[in-house]
Amino acid sequence: MAGKFCVSLTRSLDDPDRATVAFVVAGAAVASGQETMVFLSIEGVRLAVEGVADAIHEEGFLPLKQLMSSFVEAGGAILVCSPCFKKRNLDPAKLISGGVIVGGARLVEFLAQGAACVSY
Amino acid sequence: MNGRDGVDVDLIPHHDAWNAGDLACGPMLLALKGRLERLAPGQVFQLVTRDEGAPVDVPAWCRLTGHRLLRAAHPYYHLERRKD
Repeated sequence: MAGKFCVSLTRSLDDPDRATVAFVVAGAAVASGQETMVFLSIEGVRLAVEGVADAIHEEGFLPLKQLMSSFVEAGGAILVCSPCFKKRNLDPAKLISGGVIVGGARLVEFLAQGAACVSY
Repeated sequence: MNGRDGVDVDLIPHHDAWNAGDLACGPMLLALKGRLERLAPGQVFQLVTRDEGAPVDVPAWCRLTGHRLLRAAHPYYHLERRKD
């Protein structure tokens, strides 16, 4: 029954509501036995920097940092768009635990293998 | 304590139970997954959740994961841990 599931997230501090719900849904996917990837691109890559997610706690939801860490602990993958990260002069040395900087080919490969994808 | 079907849930045998409180969606399912996996195959788990999405979400999660939904009477759910 295991499938592949991708959550594409392009927001972070600019839209904490979207960023939060993306990880809530990603958590549901990995808890449901899906091989799950969150692909951070555009402004979403900021969440891959240690400490940035600490500032986000939407009313009615768990803190984003907790959502992200429980997602990774359950086996979810956080992939980070390389050119988006570089464009913003973010520091790879401060990458969050579980985060992996990748190029578009990894996303294309994952989706081409039949993954469903939802975007935030 | 009665579910929506009027059955006294305390009379339904189960090996473990958890009140999910206000948790919903991903956070609840992640916690539920961990708790189910600690049971032996075939054992029964009682979930209590006030999440209004649960009547649709819990059966869907069981279909995805292979755990068997024995009974759903919101806010009470009884799940049988899948055979590995």
